[in-house]
Amino acid sequence: MAAVGRLAGGTLKRPRWRTGLLLALPAIAIFALLFVAPLFTLVANSFRTQAGAFTFSNYARFLGDPFYRDVLWNTLKVAALTTIGCLLVGYPFALYMRGRSARARNWLALLLLSPLLISMVIRAYGWLVVLGPNGPIAAVLTWLGLTPPQLLYNDTAVLIGMVHVMLAYMVLPLMGSLDRIDPTLVPAAKGLGAPGWTCFWRITLPLSAPGMLAGAMIVFSLTASSFVTPAILGGPKVKLMPYFVYTQATTTLDWPYAAAIGFVLVVVTTGLLLGYSRLLRRGRGEVVFG
Amino acid sequence: MTRVLGGAFACLVGLFLVAPVAVTVASSLTATAYVTFPPQGITLRWYAEVFAKPEFLSSFVLSAGVAVAAAGVSAVVGLACGLAIHRYRFPGRGALEAVLSSAFAVPTIVLGIGLLQWFAQMGLASSPFTLLLAHLVLTVPYAVRLVLAGLAGLDRSAEKAAAGLGASPFLVFWHVTLPAVRGALIGSAFFAFITSFDDLTVALFVVTTDLQTLPVRIFNYMQYDYDPTVTAIGTLMVLFAVVAAVVIERFVGVARLFGADQDHK
Repeated sequence: MAAVGRLAGGTLKRPRWRTGLLLALPAIAIFALLFVAPLFTLVANSFRTQAGAFTFSNYARFLGDPFYRDVLWNTLKVAALTTIGCLLVGYPFALYMRGRSARARNWLALLLLSPLLISMVIRAYGWLVVLGPNGPIAAVLTWLGLTPPQLLYNDTAVLIGMVHVMLAYMVLPLMGSLDRIDPTLVPAAKGLGAPGWTCFWRITLPLSAPGMLAGAMIVFSLTASSFVTPAILGGPKVKLMPYFVYTQATTTLDWPYAAAIGFVLVVVTTGLLLGYSRLLRRGRGEVVFG
Repeated sequence: MTRVLGGAFACLVGLFLVAPVAVTVASSLTATAYVTFPPQGITLRWYAEVFAKPEFLSSFVLSAGVAVAAAGVSAVVGLACGLAIHRYRFPGRGALEAVLSSAFAVPTIVLGIGLLQWFAQMGLASSPFTLLLAHLVLTVPYAVRLVLAGLAGLDRSAEKAAAGLGASPFLVFWHVTLPAVRGALIGSAFFAFITSFDDLTVALFVVTTDLQTLPVRIFNYMQYDYDPTVTAIGTLMVLFAVVAAVVIERFVGVARLFGADQDHK
Protein backbone atom coordinates (compact mmCIF):
# COMPACT_ATOMS: atom_id res chain seq x y z
CA MET A 1 0.00 0.00 0.00
CA ALA A 2 2.88 2.31 0.81
CA ALA A 3 4.20 1.75 -2.70
CA VAL A 4 0.88 2.62 -4.24
CA GLY A 5 0.78 5.75 -2.13
CA ARG A 6 4.20 6.72 -3.39
CA LEU A 7 3.13 6.02 -6.92
CA ALA A 8 0.15 8.32 -6.61
CA GLY A 9 1.84 11.15 -4.79
CA GLY A 10 5.49 10.58 -5.63
CA THR A 11 7.89 11.56 -8.33
CA LEU A 12 6.23 9.63 -11.12
CA LYS A 13 2.72 10.96 -10.94
CA ARG A 14 3.15 14.51 -9.78
CA PRO A 15 6.65 15.68 -10.58
CA ARG A 16 7.77 18.66 -8.59
CA TRP A 17 8.88 21.59 -10.67
CA ARG A 18 11.90 22.10 -8.49
CA THR A 19 13.38 18.74 -9.37
CA GLY A 20 12.85 19.53 -13.02
CA LEU A 21 14.52 22.90 -12.76
CA LEU A 22 17.44 21.38 -10.88
CA LEU A 23 17.93 18.72 -13.56
CA ALA A 24 17.74 21.30 -16.32
CA LEU A 25 19.98 23.78 -14.53
CA PRO A 26 23.33 22.74 -16.09
CA ALA A 27 21.87 22.99 -19.57
CA ILE A 28 20.20 26.31 -18.75
CA ALA A 29 23.48 27.69 -17.40
CA ILE A 30 25.43 26.52 -20.47
CA PHE A 31 22.96 28.02 -22.91
CA ALA A 32 22.36 31.26 -21.03
CA LEU A 33 26.07 31.96 -20.62
CA LEU A 34 27.49 30.48 -23.79
CA PHE A 35 24.74 30.83 -26.36
CA VAL A 36 22.23 33.54 -25.50
CA ALA A 37 24.75 35.97 -23.98
CA PRO A 38 27.28 35.70 -26.85
CA LEU A 39 24.55 36.19 -29.44
CA PHE A 40 23.24 39.24 -27.60
CA THR A 41 26.77 40.60 -27.42
CA LEU A 42 27.12 40.00 -31.13
CA VAL A 43 23.92 41.83 -31.99
CA ALA A 44 24.77 44.68 -29.61
CA ASN A 45 28.27 45.01 -31.08
CA SER A 46 26.90 45.08 -34.60
CA PHE A 47 25.23 48.39 -33.72
CA ARG A 48 28.44 49.92 -32.43
CA THR A 49 31.37 51.73 -33.96
CA GLN A 50 34.85 50.41 -33.20
CA ALA A 51 35.00 53.10 -30.50
CA GLY A 52 31.75 51.86 -28.95
CA ALA A 53 29.18 54.50 -29.95
CA PHE A 54 25.73 53.46 -31.20
CA THR A 55 25.47 53.36 -34.98
CA PHE A 56 23.71 51.82 -37.98
CA SER A 57 26.79 52.33 -40.11
CA ASN A 58 27.84 48.66 -40.14
CA TYR A 59 24.56 47.65 -41.76
CA ALA A 60 24.53 50.71 -43.99
CA ARG A 61 28.02 49.74 -45.15
CA PHE A 62 26.99 46.16 -45.86
CA LEU A 63 23.84 47.03 -47.78
CA GLY A 64 25.37 50.02 -49.53
CA ASP A 65 28.46 48.28 -50.82
CA PRO A 66 27.89 46.42 -54.10
CA PHE A 67 30.79 44.12 -53.21
CA TYR A 68 29.04 42.86 -50.08
CA ARG A 69 25.67 42.66 -51.77
CA ASP A 70 27.44 40.42 -54.25
CA VAL A 71 28.82 38.32 -51.39
CA LEU A 72 25.31 37.83 -50.03
CA TRP A 73 23.96 36.96 -53.46
CA ASN A 74 26.78 34.52 -54.16
CA THR A 75 26.24 32.80 -50.78
CA LEU A 76 22.60 32.17 -51.61
CA LYS A 77 23.51 31.06 -55.13
CA VAL A 78 26.11 28.52 -53.98
CA ALA A 79 23.70 27.19 -51.34
CA ALA A 80 20.93 26.83 -53.94
CA LEU A 81 23.23 25.12 -56.46
CA THR A 82 24.49 22.72 -53.77
CA THR A 83 20.88 21.86 -52.93
CA ILE A 84 20.10 21.18 -56.59
CA GLY A 85 23.30 19.15 -56.94
CA CYS A 86 22.41 17.03 -53.91
CA LEU A 87 18.94 16.45 -55.34
CA LEU A 88 20.24 15.43 -58.77
CA VAL A 89 22.79 13.01 -57.31
CA GLY A 90 20.80 12.00 -54.26
CA TYR A 91 17.43 11.18 -55.77
CA PRO A 92 18.61 8.41 -58.13
CA PHE A 93 20.87 7.14 -55.37
CA ALA A 94 17.95 6.97 -52.92
CA LEU A 95 15.88 5.10 -55.54
CA TYR A 96 18.76 2.67 -55.99
CA MET A 97 19.11 2.22 -52.23
CA ARG A 98 15.40 1.51 -51.87
CA GLY A 99 15.62 -1.53 -54.10
CA ARG A 100 18.47 -3.14 -52.13
CA SER A 101 18.42 -5.64 -49.26
CA ALA A 102 18.50 -4.37 -45.68
CA ARG A 103 22.16 -5.32 -45.39
CA ALA A 104 23.19 -3.54 -48.56
CA ARG A 105 21.21 -0.50 -47.50
CA ASN A 106 23.06 -0.36 -44.22
CA TRP A 107 26.37 -0.34 -46.06
CA LEU A 108 25.18 2.28 -48.51
CA ALA A 109 24.03 4.48 -45.61
CA LEU A 110 27.43 4.08 -43.99
CA LEU A 111 29.08 5.03 -47.29
CA LEU A 112 26.91 8.14 -47.49
CA LEU A 113 27.71 9.12 -43.93
CA SER A 114 31.42 8.37 -44.22
CA PRO A 115 32.34 11.94 -45.28
CA LEU A 116 30.72 13.20 -42.08
CA LEU A 117 32.81 10.88 -39.94
CA ILE A 118 36.07 12.18 -41.33
CA SER A 119 37.62 15.40 -40.17
CA MET A 120 36.33 18.36 -42.17
CA VAL A 121 39.82 19.71 -42.72
CA ILE A 122 41.16 16.40 -43.99
CA ARG A 123 38.15 15.86 -46.23
CA ALA A 124 38.59 19.30 -47.80
CA TYR A 125 42.31 18.69 -48.11
CA GLY A 126 41.52 15.46 -49.97
CA TRP A 127 39.51 17.45 -52.52
CA LEU A 128 42.38 19.88 -52.76
CA VAL A 129 44.53 16.97 -53.90
CA VAL A 130 41.87 15.41 -56.16
CA LEU A 131 41.14 18.68 -57.96
CA GLY A 132 44.67 20.06 -57.73
CA PRO A 133 47.30 20.33 -60.46
CA ASN A 134 49.01 17.10 -59.28
CA GLY A 135 45.75 15.23 -58.79
CA PRO A 136 44.12 12.33 -60.62
CA ILE A 137 41.79 14.48 -62.73
CA ALA A 138 44.64 16.59 -64.02
CA ALA A 139 46.65 13.38 -64.63
CA VAL A 140 43.87 11.82 -66.74
CA LEU A 141 43.33 15.02 -68.73
CA THR A 142 47.06 15.40 -69.39
CA TRP A 143 47.27 11.77 -70.47
CA LEU A 144 44.45 12.46 -72.92
CA GLY A 145 46.51 15.32 -74.28
CA LEU A 146 44.32 18.08 -72.84
CA THR A 147 45.33 21.02 -70.70
CA PRO A 148 43.71 20.60 -67.28
CA PRO A 149 41.58 23.65 -66.37
CA GLN A 150 41.87 25.41 -63.02
CA LEU A 151 39.56 23.33 -60.85
CA LEU A 152 40.35 24.89 -57.49
CA TYR A 153 39.53 28.19 -55.82
CA ASN A 154 36.28 28.79 -57.66
CA ASP A 155 32.56 28.19 -57.15
CA THR A 156 32.75 24.76 -58.81
CA ALA A 157 35.32 23.50 -56.32
CA VAL A 158 33.17 24.68 -53.41
CA LEU A 159 30.12 23.10 -55.04
CA ILE A 160 31.84 19.71 -55.41
CA GLY A 161 33.09 19.78 -51.83
CA MET A 162 29.70 20.82 -50.45
CA VAL A 163 27.65 18.24 -52.39
CA HIS A 164 30.07 15.61 -51.07
CA VAL A 165 29.39 16.56 -47.44
CA MET A 166 25.70 17.35 -47.79
CA LEU A 167 24.58 14.33 -49.82
CA ALA A 168 23.66 12.31 -46.73
CA TYR A 169 21.45 15.11 -45.42
CA MET A 170 19.48 14.92 -48.66
CA VAL A 171 19.34 11.15 -49.17
CA LEU A 172 18.39 10.07 -45.64
CA PRO A 173 15.17 12.14 -45.31
CA LEU A 174 14.39 11.19 -48.90
CA MET A 175 14.71 7.50 -47.99
CA GLY A 176 12.32 8.09 -45.10
CA SER A 177 9.72 9.45 -47.52
CA LEU A 178 10.27 6.76 -50.14
CA ASP A 179 9.90 4.04 -47.52
CA ARG A 180 6.55 5.41 -46.45
CA ILE A 181 5.07 5.03 -49.95
CA ASP A 182 2.62 2.16 -50.10
CA PRO A 183 4.56 -0.55 -52.02
CA THR A 184 1.40 -1.73 -53.80
CA LEU A 185 0.74 1.63 -55.49
CA VAL A 186 3.25 1.34 -58.31
CA PRO A 187 2.42 -2.31 -59.21
CA ALA A 188 -1.27 -1.35 -59.14
CA ALA A 189 -0.69 1.54 -61.54
CA LYS A 190 1.42 -0.70 -63.76
CA GLY A 191 -1.30 -3.31 -63.73
CA LEU A 192 -3.69 -0.65 -64.97
CA GLY A 193 -1.35 0.01 -67.87
CA ALA A 194 0.66 3.03 -66.72
CA PRO A 195 4.19 3.08 -68.15
CA GLY A 196 7.10 3.17 -65.71
CA TRP A 197 7.83 6.84 -66.34
CA THR A 198 4.23 7.82 -65.57
CA CYS A 199 4.33 5.75 -62.35
CA PHE A 200 7.41 7.66 -61.26
CA TRP A 201 6.10 11.05 -62.28
CA ARG A 202 2.59 10.64 -60.85
CA ILE A 203 3.22 8.45 -57.77
CA THR A 204 6.79 8.19 -56.52
CA LEU A 205 7.90 11.76 -57.11
CA PRO A 206 4.92 13.55 -55.52
CA LEU A 207 4.82 11.17 -52.57
CA SER A 208 8.50 11.65 -51.88
CA ALA A 209 8.16 15.45 -51.96
CA PRO A 210 8.12 15.87 -48.14
CA GLY A 211 11.50 14.14 -47.80
CA MET A 212 12.88 16.05 -50.74
CA LEU A 213 11.78 19.39 -49.29
CA ALA A 214 13.03 18.55 -45.81
CA GLY A 215 16.40 17.52 -47.25
CA ALA A 216 16.58 20.67 -49.36
CA MET A 217 15.92 22.82 -46.30
CA ILE A 218 18.73 21.21 -44.29
CA VAL A 219 21.20 21.28 -47.17
CA PHE A 220 20.49 24.89 -48.06
CA SER A 221 20.83 26.28 -44.56
CA LEU A 222 23.92 24.23 -43.67
CA THR A 223 25.63 25.20 -46.91
CA ALA A 224 24.86 28.91 -46.62
CA SER A 225 26.48 28.99 -43.21
CA SER A 226 29.40 26.60 -43.65
CA PHE A 227 32.91 27.89 -43.42
CA VAL A 228 35.60 25.20 -43.47
CA THR A 229 35.01 23.50 -46.83
CA PRO A 230 34.45 26.77 -48.78
CA ALA A 231 37.42 28.42 -47.08
CA ILE A 232 39.79 25.61 -48.07
CA LEU A 233 38.45 24.87 -51.56
CA GLY A 234 37.39 28.39 -52.52
CA GLY A 235 39.66 30.66 -50.54
CA PRO A 236 39.32 34.43 -50.78
CA LYS A 237 38.32 34.28 -54.43
CA VAL A 238 34.95 32.69 -53.71
CA LYS A 239 32.88 35.38 -52.07
CA LEU A 240 30.85 33.79 -49.26
CA MET A 241 29.48 35.37 -46.10
CA PRO A 242 31.06 33.05 -43.49
CA TYR A 243 34.50 33.66 -44.98
CA PHE A 244 34.08 37.43 -44.59
CA VAL A 245 32.85 37.05 -41.01
CA TYR A 246 36.11 35.23 -40.36
CA THR A 247 38.46 37.65 -42.12
CA GLN A 248 36.76 40.72 -40.65
CA ALA A 249 37.06 39.24 -37.17
CA THR A 250 40.62 37.88 -37.37
CA THR A 251 42.47 39.76 -40.11
CA THR A 252 40.86 43.19 -40.38
CA LEU A 253 39.96 43.04 -36.68
CA ASP A 254 36.76 45.00 -37.31
CA TRP A 255 34.62 43.14 -34.78
CA PRO A 256 31.48 45.27 -35.12
CA TYR A 257 31.46 44.78 -38.88
CA ALA A 258 32.10 41.03 -38.51
CA ALA A 259 29.19 40.93 -36.08
CA ALA A 260 26.95 42.74 -38.55
CA ILE A 261 27.82 40.33 -41.40
CA GLY A 262 27.18 37.40 -39.08
CA PHE A 263 23.84 38.81 -38.01
CA VAL A 264 22.77 39.45 -41.62
CA LEU A 265 23.65 35.80 -42.35
CA VAL A 266 21.45 34.59 -39.49
CA VAL A 267 18.55 36.85 -40.46
CA VAL A 268 18.66 35.93 -44.16
CA THR A 269 18.97 32.16 -43.64
CA THR A 270 16.34 31.91 -40.90
CA GLY A 271 14.06 34.23 -42.85
CA LEU A 272 14.33 32.06 -45.94
CA LEU A 273 13.82 28.90 -43.90
CA LEU A 274 10.72 30.26 -42.16
CA GLY A 275 9.21 31.28 -45.48
CA TYR A 276 10.13 27.95 -46.95
CA SER A 277 8.66 25.90 -44.10
CA ARG A 278 5.44 27.88 -44.41
CA LEU A 279 5.41 27.03 -48.08
CA LEU A 280 6.17 23.43 -47.17
CA ARG A 281 3.22 23.21 -44.82
CA ARG A 282 0.89 24.53 -47.45
CA GLY A 283 2.44 22.21 -50.02
CA ARG A 284 1.95 19.23 -47.78
CA GLY A 285 -1.71 20.16 -47.38
CA GLU A 286 -2.07 20.00 -51.13
CA VAL A 287 -0.43 16.59 -51.31
CA VAL A 288 -2.75 15.26 -48.62
CA PHE A 289 -5.97 16.74 -49.88
CA GLY A 290 -5.29 17.10 -53.58
CA MET B 1 18.93 -2.29 -68.35
CA THR B 2 17.69 0.14 -65.67
CA ARG B 3 19.28 -2.18 -63.12
CA VAL B 4 22.68 -1.99 -64.77
CA LEU B 5 22.40 1.77 -65.15
CA GLY B 6 21.36 2.10 -61.51
CA GLY B 7 24.30 -0.02 -60.38
CA ALA B 8 26.74 1.95 -62.50
CA PHE B 9 25.37 5.22 -61.15
CA ALA B 10 25.63 4.00 -57.56
CA CYS B 11 29.24 2.98 -58.20
CA LEU B 12 30.01 6.47 -59.51
CA VAL B 13 28.44 8.04 -56.42
CA GLY B 14 30.45 5.65 -54.26
CA LEU B 15 33.63 6.66 -56.05
CA PHE B 16 32.73 10.32 -55.54
CA LEU B 17 32.15 9.71 -51.83
CA VAL B 18 35.43 7.91 -51.17
CA ALA B 19 37.64 9.83 -53.63
CA PRO B 20 39.07 12.48 -51.29
CA VAL B 21 39.87 9.97 -48.58
CA ALA B 22 41.29 7.35 -50.91
CA VAL B 23 43.49 9.94 -52.61
CA THR B 24 44.67 11.32 -49.26
CA VAL B 25 45.63 7.88 -48.00
CA ALA B 26 47.40 6.92 -51.23
CA SER B 27 49.33 10.14 -51.60
CA SER B 28 50.57 9.99 -48.01
CA LEU B 29 53.01 7.34 -49.28
CA THR B 30 54.54 9.42 -52.04
CA ALA B 31 58.29 9.88 -52.08
CA THR B 32 58.01 13.33 -53.63
CA ALA B 33 58.25 16.46 -51.50
CA TYR B 34 54.88 17.67 -52.78
CA VAL B 35 51.47 15.99 -52.72
CA THR B 36 50.72 14.06 -55.87
CA PHE B 37 48.34 11.37 -57.03
CA PRO B 38 49.10 8.73 -58.15
CA PRO B 39 51.95 8.68 -55.59
CA GLN B 40 55.48 8.31 -56.95
CA GLY B 41 57.56 5.80 -55.08
CA ILE B 42 56.72 4.57 -51.62
CA THR B 43 57.94 5.91 -48.32
CA LEU B 44 56.80 6.21 -44.73
CA ARG B 45 58.85 9.38 -44.38
CA TRP B 46 55.80 11.63 -43.94
CA TYR B 47 54.57 9.58 -41.01
CA ALA B 48 57.97 9.97 -39.37
CA GLU B 49 57.66 13.68 -40.15
CA VAL B 50 54.35 13.86 -38.25
CA PHE B 51 55.84 12.32 -35.15
CA ALA B 52 58.94 14.50 -35.47
CA LYS B 53 56.80 17.59 -35.04
CA PRO B 54 55.94 17.94 -31.37
CA GLU B 55 53.36 20.65 -32.05
CA PHE B 56 51.13 18.13 -33.82
CA LEU B 57 51.34 15.76 -30.89
CA SER B 58 50.51 18.48 -28.37
CA SER B 59 47.60 19.61 -30.52
CA PHE B 60 46.35 16.04 -30.69
CA VAL B 61 46.54 15.73 -26.92
CA LEU B 62 44.66 19.01 -26.48
CA SER B 63 41.97 18.03 -29.00
CA ALA B 64 41.52 14.55 -27.57
CA GLY B 65 41.35 15.85 -23.99
CA VAL B 66 38.75 18.49 -24.79
CA ALA B 67 36.77 15.98 -26.87
CA VAL B 68 36.69 13.39 -24.08
CA ALA B 69 35.56 16.03 -21.60
CA ALA B 70 32.91 17.29 -24.05
CA ALA B 71 31.68 13.72 -24.52
CA GLY B 72 31.32 13.06 -20.79
CA VAL B 73 29.80 16.40 -19.89
CA SER B 74 27.31 16.43 -22.76
CA ALA B 75 26.09 12.92 -21.98
CA VAL B 76 25.46 13.82 -18.34
CA VAL B 77 24.00 17.28 -19.01
CA GLY B 78 21.97 15.87 -21.91
CA LEU B 79 20.52 13.10 -19.74
CA ALA B 80 19.57 15.49 -16.93
CA CYS B 81 18.09 18.03 -19.32
CA GLY B 82 16.28 15.36 -21.35
CA LEU B 83 14.69 13.94 -18.19
CA ALA B 84 13.70 17.43 -17.04
CA ILE B 85 12.05 18.32 -20.35
CA HIS B 86 10.38 14.95 -20.78
CA ARG B 87 8.96 14.56 -17.31
CA TYR B 88 8.73 17.85 -15.48
CA ARG B 89 7.08 21.21 -15.88
CA PHE B 90 9.21 24.02 -14.57
CA PRO B 91 9.56 27.74 -15.19
CA GLY B 92 11.59 28.39 -18.31
CA ARG B 93 10.98 24.98 -19.87
CA GLY B 94 9.49 26.41 -23.04
CA ALA B 95 12.31 28.92 -23.36
CA LEU B 96 14.91 26.19 -22.85
CA GLU B 97 13.36 24.04 -25.57
CA ALA B 98 13.22 27.02 -27.92
CA VAL B 99 16.86 27.86 -27.28
CA LEU B 100 17.96 24.24 -27.73
CA SER B 101 16.21 23.94 -31.07
CA SER B 102 17.42 27.33 -32.29
CA ALA B 103 20.97 26.22 -31.48
CA PHE B 104 20.71 23.95 -34.53
CA ALA B 105 19.81 26.91 -36.71
CA VAL B 106 22.53 29.35 -35.69
CA PRO B 107 25.57 29.02 -37.97
CA THR B 108 28.66 27.84 -36.10
CA ILE B 109 30.68 30.71 -37.54
CA VAL B 110 28.25 33.16 -35.94
CA LEU B 111 28.49 31.30 -32.66
CA GLY B 112 32.29 31.42 -32.95
CA ILE B 113 32.50 35.15 -33.39
CA GLY B 114 29.85 35.70 -30.70
CA LEU B 115 31.90 33.66 -28.25
CA LEU B 116 35.08 35.50 -29.24
CA GLN B 117 33.50 38.86 -28.46
CA TRP B 118 31.71 37.64 -25.33
CA PHE B 119 34.82 35.98 -23.86
CA ALA B 120 36.81 39.13 -24.60
CA GLN B 121 34.18 41.25 -22.88
CA MET B 122 34.24 38.94 -19.87
CA GLY B 123 38.03 39.05 -19.82
CA LEU B 124 38.14 35.27 -20.16
CA ALA B 125 41.52 34.19 -21.54
CA SER B 126 41.64 31.31 -23.98
CA SER B 127 42.29 27.96 -22.28
CA PRO B 128 41.32 24.31 -22.75
CA PHE B 129 38.40 25.10 -20.45
CA THR B 130 36.99 27.86 -22.67
CA LEU B 131 37.37 25.51 -25.64
CA LEU B 132 35.34 22.89 -23.77
CA LEU B 133 32.66 25.46 -22.93
CA ALA B 134 32.45 26.52 -26.57
CA HIS B 135 32.12 22.92 -27.74
CA LEU B 136 29.37 22.12 -25.25
CA VAL B 137 27.13 24.59 -27.07
CA LEU B 138 27.60 22.45 -30.20
CA THR B 139 27.16 19.06 -28.57
CA VAL B 140 24.55 19.40 -25.80
CA PRO B 141 21.55 20.04 -28.12
CA TYR B 142 22.25 16.74 -29.90
CA ALA B 143 22.63 14.91 -26.61
CA VAL B 144 19.27 16.26 -25.40
CA ARG B 145 17.63 15.31 -28.68
CA LEU B 146 18.97 11.76 -28.54
CA VAL B 147 18.00 11.33 -24.88
CA LEU B 148 14.49 12.62 -25.60
CA ALA B 149 14.18 10.13 -28.45
CA GLY B 150 15.33 7.35 -26.10
CA LEU B 151 12.86 8.40 -23.41
CA ALA B 152 10.02 8.56 -25.92
CA GLY B 153 10.60 4.89 -26.68
CA LEU B 154 10.47 3.94 -23.01
CA ASP B 155 7.25 2.40 -21.77
CA ARG B 156 6.39 4.35 -18.65
CA SER B 157 4.37 1.43 -17.26
CA ALA B 158 7.64 -0.47 -16.72
CA GLU B 159 8.77 2.29 -14.36
CA LYS B 160 5.40 2.38 -12.68
CA ALA B 161 5.46 -1.38 -12.24
CA ALA B 162 8.94 -1.23 -10.68
CA ALA B 163 7.86 1.56 -8.36
CA GLY B 164 4.65 -0.27 -7.56
CA LEU B 165 6.67 -3.32 -6.60
CA GLY B 166 8.50 -1.20 -4.08
CA ALA B 167 11.65 -0.10 -5.91
CA SER B 168 13.04 3.21 -4.71
CA PRO B 169 13.16 6.08 -7.25
CA PHE B 170 16.90 5.56 -7.55
CA LEU B 171 16.51 1.83 -8.28
CA VAL B 172 13.82 2.59 -10.85
CA PHE B 173 16.15 5.07 -12.50
CA TRP B 174 19.14 2.72 -12.40
CA HIS B 175 17.43 -0.46 -13.57
CA VAL B 176 14.63 0.79 -15.82
CA THR B 177 15.21 4.34 -17.05
CA LEU B 178 18.96 4.27 -17.56
CA PRO B 179 19.09 1.06 -19.63
CA ALA B 180 16.41 2.53 -21.90
CA VAL B 181 18.54 5.56 -22.73
CA ARG B 182 21.89 3.75 -22.73
CA GLY B 183 22.12 3.77 -26.51
CA ALA B 184 21.23 7.44 -26.60
CA LEU B 185 23.92 8.24 -24.05
CA ILE B 186 26.64 6.29 -25.84
CA GLY B 187 25.53 7.84 -29.10
CA SER B 188 25.59 11.37 -27.74
CA ALA B 189 28.99 10.84 -26.13
CA PHE B 190 30.47 9.63 -29.44
CA PHE B 191 28.77 12.37 -31.36
CA ALA B 192 30.10 14.96 -28.92
CA PHE B 193 33.59 13.49 -29.19
CA ILE B 194 33.59 13.61 -32.97
CA THR B 195 32.06 17.10 -33.10
CA SER B 196 34.54 18.52 -30.62
CA PHE B 197 37.54 16.71 -32.10
CA ASP B 198 36.62 17.84 -35.59
CA ASP B 199 35.55 21.39 -34.88
CA LEU B 200 37.51 24.07 -36.69
CA THR B 201 34.98 26.87 -37.11
CA VAL B 202 34.42 27.66 -33.45
CA ALA B 203 37.95 26.74 -32.34
CA LEU B 204 39.48 29.23 -34.79
CA PHE B 205 37.91 32.03 -32.78
CA VAL B 206 38.70 30.63 -29.36
CA VAL B 207 42.32 29.47 -29.73
CA THR B 208 45.57 31.40 -29.56
CA THR B 209 48.86 30.64 -31.27
CA ASP B 210 50.04 28.74 -28.21
CA LEU B 211 46.88 26.73 -27.86
CA GLN B 212 45.85 25.14 -31.13
CA THR B 213 43.58 22.18 -31.56
CA LEU B 214 44.52 19.61 -34.19
CA PRO B 215 42.13 20.91 -36.89
CA VAL B 216 43.39 24.47 -36.31
CA ARG B 217 47.00 23.25 -36.46
CA ILE B 218 46.37 21.42 -39.74
CA PHE B 219 44.43 24.36 -41.19
CA ASN B 220 47.26 26.76 -40.40
CA TYR B 221 49.92 24.32 -41.63
CA MET B 222 48.08 23.95 -44.94
CA GLN B 223 48.30 27.69 -45.61
CA TYR B 224 52.08 27.56 -45.78
CA ASP B 225 53.16 24.02 -46.65
CA TYR B 226 52.11 21.74 -49.42
CA ASP B 227 54.23 18.78 -48.33
CA PRO B 228 52.59 15.39 -47.73
CA THR B 229 52.73 15.63 -43.93
CA VAL B 230 49.08 16.66 -43.91
CA THR B 231 48.12 13.57 -45.92
CA ALA B 232 49.90 11.38 -43.35
CA ILE B 233 48.03 13.05 -40.48
CA GLY B 234 44.86 12.72 -42.52
CA THR B 235 45.41 8.99 -42.93
CA LEU B 236 45.95 8.57 -39.21
CA MET B 237 42.76 10.51 -38.53
CA VAL B 238 40.85 8.41 -41.06
CA LEU B 239 41.99 5.27 -39.22
CA PHE B 240 40.79 6.88 -36.02
CA ALA B 241 37.42 7.69 -37.63
CA VAL B 242 37.08 4.12 -38.94
CA VAL B 243 37.57 2.73 -35.45
CA ALA B 244 35.03 5.23 -34.08
CA ALA B 245 32.55 4.34 -36.85
CA VAL B 246 32.82 0.62 -36.11
CA VAL B 247 32.24 1.25 -32.41
CA ILE B 248 29.25 3.52 -33.09
CA GLU B 249 27.75 1.07 -35.57
CA ARG B 250 28.14 -1.62 -32.93
CA PHE B 251 26.35 0.33 -30.23
CA VAL B 252 23.86 2.64 -31.86
CA GLY B 253 23.86 2.49 -35.63
CA VAL B 254 25.33 5.39 -37.57
CA ALA B 255 22.11 6.30 -39.34
CA ARG B 256 20.23 6.78 -36.08
CA LEU B 257 22.94 9.10 -34.83
CA PHE B 258 22.19 11.56 -37.57
CA GLY B 259 18.50 11.56 -36.82
CA ALA B 260 17.56 9.74 -39.98
CA ASP B 261 16.73 6.35 -38.63
CA GLN B 262 15.03 3.93 -40.97
CA ASP B 263 13.76 0.70 -39.59
CA HIS B 264 15.88 -1.79 -41.47
CA LYS B 265 14.63 -5.15 -40.41
